[in-house]
Amino acid sequence: MPIDANTVRKIAALARLRIDPGEEGRYVSELASILTYVEQLQPLDVSSIEPTSTVVEGPPTPLRPDRIVPCEVREEALEQAPEREGDYFRVPRVV
Amino acid sequence: MSDALTDRTAESIAAAVRGGEASAEEVARAFLARADRTSKRLGSFLHRTPEQAIASARAIDARRAKGERLGALAGVPVALKDNICTRGVPTTCGSRILEGYRPPYDAHVVERLRAADAVFVGKTNCDEFAMGSSTENSAYFPTRNPWDLARVPGGSSGGSAAAVAAREAALALGSDTGGSVRQPAAFCGVYGLKPTYGAVSRYGLVAFASSLDQIGPFARTARDTALLYDAIQGRDERDMTSRPEARPVSLDALEQGVRGLTLGVPRDLLAAEGVAPEIRERFEVASRAFADAGAKIVDVALPHAQYAIATYYLIAPAEASSNLARYDGVRYGLRVPDLDLATMYEATRGQGFGREVKRRILLGTYALSAGYYDAYYLGAQRVRTLIRRDFTEALRSADVLFFPVTPTTAFGIGEKVDDPLAMYLNDIYSIPASLAGVPALSFPAGFGPTGLPIGLQLVGRPFAEETLLRIARAAEAWGDATTRAPAIAREGAA
Amino acid sequence: MTGARPAPEAKEALRERYEAVIGLEVHAQLKTASKIFCGCSTRFGAAPNTQVCPVCLGLPGVLPVLNERAVAFAVMTGLAVGATIHPRSVFARKNYFYPDLPKGYQISQYDRPLCEGGAVEILVGDLVKRIGLVRIHLEEDAGKSLHPEGREGIVTTRVDLNRAGVPLIEIVSQPDLRSGVEAYRYLTKLKQILVYLDVCDGNMEEGSLRCDANVSVRPRGTEAFGTKTEIKNLNSFRYVEKAIHYEIDRQIGVIESGGRVVQETLLWDSARSVAETMRSKEEAHDYRYFPEPDLLPLDLDPAWVGSLRASLPELPDALRERLVRDQGVPEYDAEVLTETRSLATYFEETAARSGQPKLASNWIMTELNAVRNRTGQSIEEFPIRPDRLGALIAMVAKGTVSGKIAKQVFERMLSEPDGPEAIVAKHGLLPIDDEAALLALAREVIAANPGPAAEFRAGKEKTFAFLVGQAMKQSRGRAHPEKLQAALRAALGGAG
Repeated sequence: MPIDANTVRKIAALARLRIDPGEEGRYVSELASILTYVEQLQPLDVSSIEPTSTVVEGPPTPLRPDRIVPCEVREEALEQAPEREGDYFRVPRVV
Repeated sequence: MSDALTDRTAESIAAAVRGGEASAEEVARAFLARADRTSKRLGSFLHRTPEQAIASARAIDARRAKGERLGALAGVPVALKDNICTRGVPTTCGSRILEGYRPPYDAHVVERLRAADAVFVGKTNCDEFAMGSSTENSAYFPTRNPWDLARVPGGSSGGSAAAVAAREAALALGSDTGGSVRQPAAFCGVYGLKPTYGAVSRYGLVAFASSLDQIGPFARTARDTALLYDAIQGRDERDMTSRPEARPVSLDALEQGVRGLTLGVPRDLLAAEGVAPEIRERFEVASRAFADAGAKIVDVALPHAQYAIATYYLIAPAEASSNLARYDGVRYGLRVPDLDLATMYEATRGQGFGREVKRRILLGTYALSAGYYDAYYLGAQRVRTLIRRDFTEALRSADVLFFPVTPTTAFGIGEKVDDPLAMYLNDIYSIPASLAGVPALSFPAGFGPTGLPIGLQLVGRPFAEETLLRIARAAEAWGDATTRAPAIAREGAA
Repeated sequence: MTGARPAPEAKEALRERYEAVIGLEVHAQLKTASKIFCGCSTRFGAAPNTQVCPVCLGLPGVLPVLNERAVAFAVMTGLAVGATIHPRSVFARKNYFYPDLPKGYQISQYDRPLCEGGAVEILVGDLVKRIGLVRIHLEEDAGKSLHPEGREGIVTTRVDLNRAGVPLIEIVSQPDLRSGVEAYRYLTKLKQILVYLDVCDGNMEEGSLRCDANVSVRPRGTEAFGTKTEIKNLNSFRYVEKAIHYEIDRQIGVIESGGRVVQETLLWDSARSVAETMRSKEEAHDYRYFPEPDLLPLDLDPAWVGSLRASLPELPDALRERLVRDQGVPEYDAEVLTETRSLATYFEETAARSGQPKLASNWIMTELNAVRNRTGQSIEEFPIRPDRLGALIAMVAKGTVSGKIAKQVFERMLSEPDGPEAIVAKHGLLPIDDEAALLALAREVIAANPGPAAEFRAGKEKTFAFLVGQAMKQSRGRAHPEKLQAALRAALGGAG
C-alpha cells in the first residue's frame, strides 16, 4: 500500500507530531520502504488463524481487591508538572 | 587491588562482602574508579550516581557490622538501563522529552535488587525509548563498543552491555523487546538474557511495546546471570502480565553439563542471506563442542521465522504509538509552551522525540488507523500466532533451539543510521523469540578474526531459563570468551 | 400570529407523520471504594489532584491492575438485565489526546465486551415495552478539565485527575426508544436497577450517571433508519427528554424544509435549551482501538459468576409483582412503593407490623410521602420507623383511634419518640365513646347554637350536619362519630 505526503501529514496530526516540512519527504520514503518490506505478509493466508495479542497462557491473574491504598508520593509526582496552578495541572485553554 | 575487584564475578564479590573479605564501599569505589576512567569515552552512562552508590555501600557495610544477614547481591555494583524507573534519580529513556524527569517511585526490579543489597552505580545509555539496535538513537550521545570504540555496542541496551564489558559495573539490567538485551550482549561479549515474557515484572519499566518488553540481566558469567535473574524474577501483583510460573534458577543445576539435552538447529533460519562467515564458523565450532560434550544436535524448522521482522515492525510500533501518547507536556517532562493546546502537543512531541521514535510512532499510528488495522496490525498478530506455533513445535523435539544472535559482529558507528530498514533487518535472529515470548539467552562464544566478540543464542521453553544458562555454563570451559577483557577495561591497571 | 415558528398544532401533526428512533449510551459510575486500575479513592468532591497516584497519573512505567469489585458490579448489572456474560472479554485502548486523559488512551472494551444482550422493561401507557440492550462494558473515567470563564485574561484550562480511573460501565441500548418520554422512563428504570443492585449511587449531580443519545427520524411506517445525530452533555434525565424532543423536531424541520440531516455530534446547552454542533462526521475521531497488552483477556470463573447470580438482590420488577401478589396492593401502589429498595422495605415492615398492607400502603403514599416531600428526608432518615407506624395503623384498623386522631398521632410521632399508644395516652387523644359524655357534649353544642338547633327542630335536616361538625370540633375529633350523632339526635329531642 502506497504512502504519500498527505497520508504522512494525516497520521502525524493523529499522533500529534510536528513534522518539519523539510523532513516530510524523508519520512515518506522511509515509511514507504518499511511498508513495502512488510508487504511480504500479505500473501500469507491467515484468515483462519487466531491473532496473538498476548503470549501469556495459563490460569488468569488474580484481580485486585477493592481496597484504597493511599498514595505516598502524590506531591513528588505533581512536582514533575511543567505548569501548575495550585493543585491543578495547567494547560493552554481547551476550546 | 581495585582492578582485581572489578574483574571478579558478582558471585564472588557478594560472597566477599558477606564474608567480610571486602567491604561494599571498597567494591563500589573500585568500580566507580574504573567508570571514572572509561565511561565518558564509552558513553555508557547517562547519569552516574557515585554518591548514592557510596552511601548505600556504607549502609550495607554497617548492617554487616551489626551482624545482619546480607542479600544475594551484597555490595554488587549494578547499572540500570535508563528506561527503568528509579525514585528521585533521572530516568530519561535516552529522550529529550523526559530530560530532567525524576520518577517518584522505583521499578519492581529496583526494589528487588535493593532488597538483595545490590549497589546502583547509575543509569545507562540506550536508544531513545529502547528503539534501536546501536544506541546511536540516544538523544544525548552514542555509546561506543568497549572492544572497538569506532563500533556500536549494539542496542538498545548498549550502555548496559558496554558497562558490564568494560567492568564499570559487575552486573546490569537492560530491556529486550526485539533483541535489545541479546544483541548488545553479543556485540560486547557478555551474557544477555531475555526472560520468558511474564517472568519479570514490567512495573517501572517505561513501556515501548508492552506485549514484548521484558527486563533482562547482563553479566559476564552464566552463574552471575542466574544470580541477577533470580533476584528480579517472580510474580508482582502490580503487573497483571507477571506470572506465577516463573521460578529461580538453581546455581547447582548449572553445573550439570549438556549431556542428555537436545539442541535444535533451525537450518532454514541459518541459511539467511547476509550471515557473516565468522558467525557461521563460530556457530559450527560451538555445535561440535556441544555434541562432543554429550548433547544431541537435531535439525528443526521455524518456517515462519522469516516473517518475524515484518510482523515485529507492525506490532511493536503500533503498541509504541499508544504507549508514547502520554508524553504530551501536561503532567511531566518537556513542554514547548504555546497558547494553543494542539500546537503545544505537536511542538512538544515534535521537539521532544527523535527521528527513530517519530518514525515508529507514525508507522504504528498508521498500522492501527481506520482502514489499515485489519491488514496491518491484526494481520501481524495472526502471523505472530504462526511464529509462536513454530517455536512450540520445534521445542517439542528439542530442549532448546540454538542459533546466532546477530548476522554480523558489531558494525561501525554511523554505518546504518541512514537506512532504518537495513538496521531492522539486523534483528532477524533476535525478534522471533520475542514474538513467541519464550526465554532466549545470548552467551559469549568467542571472537572473530578482528577480535570482536561473537554471541550465540539459546532459546528455550517458557520459564526454562535454567536450561539455557546450564548449556551456556558448559561452554565457558572451552575458551576465553568469558575471561578475556577489552583493553579499555585494563587501562590504568596497576 | 405571524413568524416562521410553526403553530403547536402543526408541530404535533408533523410529529405524527414521523417516527423517532432513539438509542441511549449510559455511563454509570460503579460504587467501588478504589479506582478501576489503582488503589486511589473514588470519593467525590475531594480537593483537586489529591486522589491520584503514579498509575492514574499515567506516569512512565506504570501498569493497570484490574479491580475485582468493578468486574463483579458489571457482571451483576449484566445478570440483572438478562444479558449474556461472556466468559472471556477483552480490554482495548481507545486512543485520543486530551489533557484530562493521562495516558493518551482510555482503557475500555471494544469488540469483545463483558456483557451483550439483555433488556430493560418500561411502562408505556398500560403496555410493558422491552428496550433491548446491545452491550455493557467496563472502562475507566477520564479526569476533569475546568475552563474558568468570564475572567479577563484567562487563557488556560485546569486539569484535576481525581476522577481519572474511576470505574464506569457503559450501557448501550438498542434503538428501541421512540420518544423523549420513553427515554426518560428507560433511564429511570435503569437507574432504579443499578441502585437496587447497589452498584451505582445514581447521583446525576455528581456525574455518577451520564447519558448520550443517538437520535434519528423516519417517516412513520418505513423501515430504513434516518441519519442519526449524537447528543452529548445530557446530565439530567429531564435534559435527556428535552434534548430528544428538541432534536426530533429539529430533524423533522430539516427534512420538511427539503434538507438532509447531517451526521454529527451535538452538545446540549441546558441553559439555552438548544443543541449545538460539536463535530461533524468528517472530524470524527480515529480511536485506533487495539487490545490492551497490559491487561490479559478477562476470564471469568463460572463458579464466581454463579455466586454473583445467587447474591443478586430482588429487582424492582420482581418485587413489584410480589407486592401485588402477596400483599394485595394495587399495581400503581406497588410501582410507587418499589421506587427504591428502602421504601419497599419500609412498606413491607410496616405491613407486617400492622397486618394491614393496604392501609400501610395508603399511609406511606399519602401521609408519609407528604412529609418527605416537604422536608426532603430520605426514607432512611424518616423519624417514624415501621414499628411505630405499623402499631398506629393497627390501632386504626381495630378502631381504637379514628383516622383523624391517627393523623394527629402521626404528626406528634414526627417529633416525639414515643409509640402511638403512649402518645394517645399522654395527649388525651383517646376517643370519646361514653354515651353520657357524648350526651353532655351534645347539650353543650345545642346550647351554644340555639339558632341551628331550632331550625333542625323545625324540620331543616340539613343543619344536623352543622351541629355534628361543631360537636366534633369541640371534641377535637375524638368523639365516636355514630355515637355522637345518636347523642345529638337524642339531645335535640328527635328519635335516633
